[in-house]
Order: sequence, then C-alpha cells, then structure tokens
Amino acid sequence: MMQKLSENILDKFSMDFLRSQVLKNAYGNNDTVIAARDPRVLLAWYLFFGLVPWFVQDMTFLLGCFVLVMITTLLARVAGLVLLLFGVGVFSQTGYLLLVTWLFGGDASAIMPLLILTLKVATISLASVTVFSGLDPDRLANGLMWYGCPERLSFSISYAYRILPMLMEEFQNVLLSYRLRGNPPAHDTFAGKVRYLAYQVKIIMYAFYPLMLNTAKRSRTTVEALEIRGYRYAATNKEVRRIKLAGLRLTWDDGIFAALSLLWVAATLLLGTLV
Amino acid sequence: MGIIEIRDLCYTYPGAAQPTLNHVNLTVEQGDFLAIVGNNGCGKSTLCKVLNGLIPHFITGQFSGEVTVSGQNTLESDVGTLARKVGYVYQDFENQIVRPTVLDDASYACLNYGMTDYLDQGRRALAQCGLQGREEEYVWQLSGGQTHLLALAGAVALGPDILILDEPIAQLDPGHADRIYGVLRELNETYGKTILVIEHHTEYIADFCKHVLLLKDGQVSWMLPARQALARVEELQSCNIFPPQVTQAAHALRERGLLPAGTELPTTVEEGKAAFAPLARKTALPHPAAMPRDHGPEAAALQGVTVSYRSVKGEPRVVFDKLDLSLYKGEKIALIGSNGAGKSTLMKLLVGLLRPKEGTVALNGTPLRDTKPEQLSRLISLVYQNPEEMFIKDSIEGDIAYAMQVRGVENWPEKTQALLERFRLTELAQRDGRLLSGGQMRRASLAIGVALNPGILLLDEPTANLDIATRREILRTLNEMKEITETVLIATHDMQLVCEWAQRIIVLCGGKVVADGTRDEIFGNTELAARVGIRPPEIFAMGRALDEKALCYTVPEFLSQFEGADA
Amino acid sequence: MNQTQNKTMNQSQKLMVFVLTMSLYGLATLFTELIPKFQVGIVEFSVEYFLFIPLVLAMLFDPLSAALGAATGELVFSEIMLGQFGGLGEAEKFITVTLGVYLAGRLVRDPRNTRMVGIAAILGTGAQLLMGTIVDICKVQFAVEDFEAVAGLPESVFATEGFAFLNDLLFSGILFCLLPTLYLVPKLYGKIEPLLGMSPRTPETAAPALSAKTLAGCAVAFVCAVAAELLATSGLELIDWEASWAESGTAVAVGMIAAAVLALAVLMVMKKKAEAK
Repeated sequence: MMQKLSENILDKFSMDFLRSQVLKNAYGNNDTVIAARDPRVLLAWYLFFGLVPWFVQDMTFLLGCFVLVMITTLLARVAGLVLLLFGVGVFSQTGYLLLVTWLFGGDASAIMPLLILTLKVATISLASVTVFSGLDPDRLANGLMWYGCPERLSFSISYAYRILPMLMEEFQNVLLSYRLRGNPPAHDTFAGKVRYLAYQVKIIMYAFYPLMLNTAKRSRTTVEALEIRGYRYAATNKEVRRIKLAGLRLTWDDGIFAALSLLWVAATLLLGTLV
Repeated sequence: MGIIEIRDLCYTYPGAAQPTLNHVNLTVEQGDFLAIVGNNGCGKSTLCKVLNGLIPHFITGQFSGEVTVSGQNTLESDVGTLARKVGYVYQDFENQIVRPTVLDDASYACLNYGMTDYLDQGRRALAQCGLQGREEEYVWQLSGGQTHLLALAGAVALGPDILILDEPIAQLDPGHADRIYGVLRELNETYGKTILVIEHHTEYIADFCKHVLLLKDGQVSWMLPARQALARVEELQSCNIFPPQVTQAAHALRERGLLPAGTELPTTVEEGKAAFAPLARKTALPHPAAMPRDHGPEAAALQGVTVSYRSVKGEPRVVFDKLDLSLYKGEKIALIGSNGAGKSTLMKLLVGLLRPKEGTVALNGTPLRDTKPEQLSRLISLVYQNPEEMFIKDSIEGDIAYAMQVRGVENWPEKTQALLERFRLTELAQRDGRLLSGGQMRRASLAIGVALNPGILLLDEPTANLDIATRREILRTLNEMKEITETVLIATHDMQLVCEWAQRIIVLCGGKVVADGTRDEIFGNTELAARVGIRPPEIFAMGRALDEKALCYTVPEFLSQFEGADA
Repeated sequence: MNQTQNKTMNQSQKLMVFVLTMSLYGLATLFTELIPKFQVGIVEFSVEYFLFIPLVLAMLFDPLSAALGAATGELVFSEIMLGQFGGLGEAEKFITVTLGVYLAGRLVRDPRNTRMVGIAAILGTGAQLLMGTIVDICKVQFAVEDFEAVAGLPESVFATEGFAFLNDLLFSGILFCLLPTLYLVPKLYGKIEPLLGMSPRTPETAAPALSAKTLAGCAVAFVCAVAAELLATSGLELIDWEASWAESGTAVAVGMIAAAVLALAVLMVMKKKAEAK
C-alpha cells in the first residue's frame, strides 16, 4: 500500500488526465437525457433519492431505488473517474465489511444488515452522482439559486469550472519545477520509499507557496473584472435574479421523468408488500 | 469638449512614496484611435484604470483632479455606470473571463446589469469581435487570440463608447495580432468607438493608430498624430520605445545626410519604398546561397512520435502524427510557427512531461523513458513561458541555488554568486522573483534554467510580454549565454530574436515540420512565409521591397547597402 | 487631496480573499479526494489535511472570507465537481471548517508573531477536529438507545473517538497544519498583500479580539452542524417505515401506481399536443 501510494502521487498521477476527467464530467455529457432535465426537478428528485433510502429498511424498495439510480447514472454518461471514486467510496464505507463477512462464511443474518447498509450508501451516492455530475454546472447553479441558495455559491460553482483548468496547469508547472530541479531520495528500499513519500508530501506543501502568490495575482484581476462587469450589482438585485432564472423552463419531458420515477418507486413498493 | 477630459490629475498608490500620475492633463476626441506609450512604470496602466473608475472607487489611494468620461465625472459616478461607458481589457485577459462558455461570458455583464436582451447583446458583441459561430464553445477550446477577442467582446457587449486595451498582442503570433487590430479598426471606424491601446509594437501603431500619447514619469510629454509621433525617433528611444525599423533606418539615413534634412520619415514599408527607392544603393545585399550543413552528434531525437490530447468531447486532438526530428549538439535552434502549432508540446515531450502515444524521444541516444525525471535535469532544462512558475523559493538566490544545493553540487554557493553576477541579479538576490519587473524576472528564470549546466536548454517564448527595450536586453543575455550553453532551442514568435540569434530555424505547422534550415532559407522562401504565416522583421520586408532577393535582418545591415566603400 | 477609503473597497477585498481561498483550498481538496487513505493498525494516515491553506490566508487577510471561501471551495471542488455530494451531512463539514479557520484567523493579531501563529494554527485545527469528534460521539449516542445503559459502551466510544482525535491532531494537525502554516505565514507576510492591493495586517488594523458574542455565534453555528449531521445520518429510527406498510401498503402502492400511470398518460398526451402545434 505504502509503495503504491508513494509511486502514485507524483509519478503516475497525471494532472492532464484528472483535468480532462473533471471537465468531461462537467461538460462532456450535456446532451444526455439527464442533462436536459430542469435542474429544479432533478434537485427535488435528488432530495427524495438522497434522503428517503436512509429511512427505509425494506430490501425490495432499496433494490428498486438502486436499480433506478443506476439507470439514471448510466443515462447521464458520467466520467470514469467519478464512477471509480464512487466505487472506492462505497467499498471503503461498508463494502469491505460485506466482502469480509461473506468470505468468512457469515450467515444471512450477518450479511443482510450489511447488504442493506451498502445498498443505502450506494443508492444515495449514485443519486448524487446523477444530479451533480450529470447536470451542466451552470444549470445546477441556477437550480440551486431557485431554491434560495446564496448567490455566492452558484457563482462559485461556475467560477470553479472556469478556474480549475488554469489552476491545475499552474500547479502542474510548479510541481514540474520541483521535479526537474529537485533531488528526491532514492526509493529502492522500504525506508527509502517512506522517505520518498515524505519528500513528495513535503513538495506538495511547498508548492503552495508559489501557487498562493500566483493565484493572488490572478484573483486581483478577476475581482476587478467582476466589479466592472457588475457582479456585485447583480448579487443584490432581485430583477437580475429573475432574468437569470427565466432561462429555467419546465418541459413535458420533465413531468414524464418525474412520473416515471414515481411509477418505478410505487411499483417497487407494491412488490415489497407482495413479497 | 473631448470624450475624455482629464484636468490636473494626481494619483498616488496607497503606501507609495511618489505619485504615479503627476498633474496629468489630457483631452481625447470622440472616435480617436490612441496609442499610449511610455517606459515601464510610467503610469500607463494606472491612467487607464483611472478612466474606468477602478481608481479611485476600487483601488484606494490619494486622488486629486478631475476626470470626465463621456460627460460623467468619475468621482461622482460609480464603477457600474462607468463600465457602460468604458470597456477595459486587461493584459492578463484570461483572468477576466469568468464563465465557462463563450456566449455566457460575452453576455455576462449585460445580464448582471439587468438587461433582458442580454443574450442578443452578447451575440452582437461576439459578431462585432469576429467570434460568430463560436457562441456555444467552451473557453478552454479557444486559442490565445480568440480568448483575447472574447475578453474584448465581454467589454464591447455593454456598448461602451470607449475601449481600453492593455497590451493586446503581447502573446500573439502575427496572424492573430493582425486579427485583433483588424477588429479594433472595425470597431473604431464602423461602430465609432474611441479606442485606447497601451502598445509598444510601433509597427502596429504606424499601421492602425491615429494618435500617440507619450507618458513619462507620470506626466504627459505630448500627444501627436501617429506619423509625427513616430518620427521623433530620438525622444522615443530615450524612453526605451523603438519606432518601426523603417523609421529608424530613415532617421539614420537622414542623420548621415543621405536623406534631405526636412524629409518626413516613413513609418510603413510602403512609405519606405517611396523614400528609399531613389537613393543609390552602393553595395548589394547578400543573396541566398546554398550553405552546406555539417553538424555534431545528435543531442535529442524524436522518432515517429505521435501525441494527442484528450478532448472533453469526441475524438482526441492529434498534435503530432509520426513526427521525426533531430537536434544536434551545439546548435542554436529557433522553433517557430503560429499559436497551436505544437511548439509547447514539443518542449514538453523533450523534458518528459508528456509521453508520446507512439514513437520514442531520446536524449544523447538514451530513450527518455529509461531516464528518471530527476536525472533529466542534468541533460535538459526548460524555462517556461511564464517565469512566475519557475520561482518556487522566496528569493531568486534561493531559486538559482536550489537545484545545485539539493544535489550537493560542489561549491554551490560560489556558483550561485557567479550566476547572479553573470545575469546582473546580484542586487536583487534576496527579492522574490514574482515581485521583479518583467525583464528581471526573465533573467532570473534564465539563470535558474542554466544553473545545472544542462546539455540542452529549452526556452519557451523568452521575450513574450516584454517591451522592446527589455527584449533587446534579453537578446543580449541570450547571445552572452551562447558560450555557456551547448544546445539551445527557443520557441518564439519574436522574429527579430530569431534573425539575430538562431543558426537553425524549424518551422512547425499543424504538427508537422514544414521547413528546417538557416534564416536565409526560411525567410528567403516567400511562398513558405505566406503559407505558414511567418512574418520576417519589418526591415527584411523593406529590403525585399527594394531588391527582391535581398537578405537583411537588422537596421545596420539594411543601411550598409547605401554606403559605399568610402563611407 | 482626496483620500478615498470606503466600504466598497472592503467588500471587494473580501471577495478577492474569498475567491483566492476557494480556488486554492478547492484544488487541494480535489487532490485529497483522489489520494487513498491507509491505515496502519489503529492509526490512520491520510493526507487529508490541506487546512493550512485557509489557515494561512485567514491569518493574513479577512478571516471570515477565508473561512467561507475554504468551506465553499471544498463543497464545490471535491463534492459537487466529483459528484461525491453527501447531502445534509456536508453541512457539518462546511460549518466546522468555517469555524475552525475563522477562529484561528481571529486569534492572530500580528502575523509576525510566530508563537501566536503556531498557537492559533493548532487551536483552529484542534477546534475543527474536536467539533468533528463531538459530532461523532453524538451520532452514536443518538443511534443507540439507552446509550448509558449498555455496559462499557460510553467508555469505549469516548476512548476510540478520543484516540482518533488525538491521532489526527498530533499527526495531521502538526504535520499538515502547524508546520506548513509556520513556514508559510512569515514567508508570505508582506509579499502577498500588495498583490491584492492591501496593506499587511498589524495589531492596529487587525479585527478586535474575539468577543463573547463572536464565540456565542460560533457555538450556535456548531449546534446547527450537529443537528444537520444527526438529521442526515441517524434518522434511521425516526419513522418505523416497515410497520406502517405491513397493513395497508399494498393498497397505497397500487393507488400510487395508478396515479403515476395516469400522470404519465396525461403528460404524454399534453406533450404530443404541444408538439403538434
């Protein structure tokens, strides 16, 4: 584990890959069924599938919800990295317990509660993956604003996607400076590997010194430009909010999507009472 | 009354001892296309920020005097109101763009000021700036020049009467630069905008601007029509501004009495032709001659290299397809080509930052993938386009020493001192690199680059974002460095640098090497230059206008033809 | 001479600090989300903590903006961007990070005073971790009926949570918060402020010392965090869902299906009509 980690942080971990995955996740799938939904409907949908499974113990219902959110996740064409993170997340929370119990021949009474817990975690995670990854960030920001989230949060979401590629490139270049000019300890032995890992962690820390100064320069231009472009004026203006949200329109398809989800949930409920 | 009226303006930044603007008086007429020139730190940017109200409303400090823009006193109105009268495009324009898609960003300001037709306004601005058809694209898909146009569109969208641009073409190749100025001219002539540019590319001033304003130590020296202004060669040069090469040549000839004393100096190649053609050319300029090429052993080689970038949507974008290229020991190579031709990618490949999908990259015959990155630094070194990313310590001394120090190089403190000396940085040794001026920053980054004495030195745009005087200084440094560095590769748009420094020129276009040879071979090939958009220095074009086969790269070379053996 | 110093200025400075902290801490948390954690015995090693970034900025600039920027950055970059949004439970992290950073930033009146910086860094981190620990203990207490009655349970919960807290504080806290903060604050002081067009913080320009009112405000915020977390994770027993379904479930479910089908049919017809127009 230690070895893998030490090799992963700087050497194999490609910033380009990460950047492209995040951007792909945000904008690469804006022509899917999920991305076309009204963000308000999706957020309400998320409110249901992100909360209700916690309160339910019924296996059939959970399984039903899980299948539904799995379908929506597939429909949203989420980037591979996010799915991987989802897998790791579920596994590290409860999945590994389930696996261990099963391997050591635990009986149904031991497995069942774990399975239910795992299903809950997986369903809720996938629901969030569907909504937050499947939706275009700007539409998501507008949706959140409609529900009364502070304007600054919705600005932050859009801005984060704008700044991320630039920040990553800068960070990558700073790290490259360290990589080309630095002299990391040899890492053939175990002790060397530990030292190497410590070195890398230290470098990442150090890298934030130039990054902070460089980003400070950028932030100044950005905030000055925001000032000129009326950001603060808009933040306090009701009329602007209305214009922004005017872009949100419920379509018949949104209704169909909601009704289909409802139908599915009702069907699993029925099935649950019959079994 | 002019569209801009400044009366007795003084401004001091908070904490500064000296006023940055000192009793400035200025009137700019509606519809002018004004270039603001002056030394670094003479208050050009500050003056522009006064016009859009950022000073004093956003940036505090001591402010006195009266500034009226479109009839509005800037002290009495707020930044929001002024933004609709004055559009501003920063030098680091990419930080000005805050939205992810093109149309979104162009209409952002209109939306914020509550215009219901904000999308139409945005579309119209994009059309005016020549970006129609790109509305739905993402910002990171745009090239540098297009990003600049987008920043401009964002400013134009609010319908201001005045547009201010801070060094609009500093990072662009000539093709993109022409496009920016073409758009500006259109905005000026067709839409009646008053345009102010901070600019040190005097050839562009000669071609596009109507008036020139010279600022000196926070004061207005004069404001004159562009032709007259550029003819004041000595005065401009004393402020480190270099008039077009044609003007410089004519000025020198007038000094020597070859042109009559009262002649108006030409500022463009066309005018130059009229002025110089009647003169007797005593010595013929050299004509292209085939030169045999002999070279040392291979220092770096790319074989069948294919590289592609992942794209957010659809197929990956192929940058290189089976590229073959060899660099030989001792060569001084310039890598040229338009933005996006693959220059940076090539450099990234050589330092192992990018791995090719196919093919091999080898240094001194050893494939790169068998070399550890930290060992690479003795073989090859890369100086980034943005020097700020090279500074990882809190003083440039620390930065220069770092690589030697961690490797336990013998006598590293002495070597550091020697480098500081060599690059004239001793006085600045304890300063943080980021807080230096542009030229000092470059010199420091070059010193860092050569600290480990690498066999190959790669420089990415070493003269970008610098004014001409600083560029000369860097060129001098590069020439001095020739003796301590073996193989050097420079990626650049700066053709003066290419002409005066490079021994071999590689032209990249669309990921292919389309030409590779000496400057005579590259610039002498008119057809090639037109095809890949290379623009030789103005004086070269001037020489060619007089003699189709002439090859001259500097003003003295050009002048030599008018002097006989007796001169 | 006209000295202009007005409120607008402060607002925009705050926005700059917010944007700066958000971008940097967001980027950092994006990485931590991707770096695996690993456990050696009971000790968990993780590079979880880039908290030094907002700590440093809170000590140099406006603490509240830095704190809010950090929390927002984490929310946006690592939760929303990567689709790892955990629902209401995120509120806990948001509030504890904000409080920890804010308190540390307010404590430092003169960034040149290294000792003060160190104490504030470790206190801020400690406060954030402690709040997390309290939330964790409350969770167990809330979830297990008769918490006090189960022999040994309270002790063991306190022991494990206490150990985790100390481990985090001594390992992550010192290595990833205290040391980098001590390294960065003096280096950045006087250099980063001019880049944002501000003057460095001195005891005269620092915000007044923490008042009882501020601390009370923090406490209220913390209670909200606990409530949010409990609501998010321990609501399992709130409704006895199954029991109520056992009796009339089938009928209700059938009713729901019928309603859904009806709604679906109506919507489809409406859509067709709308398209036909």
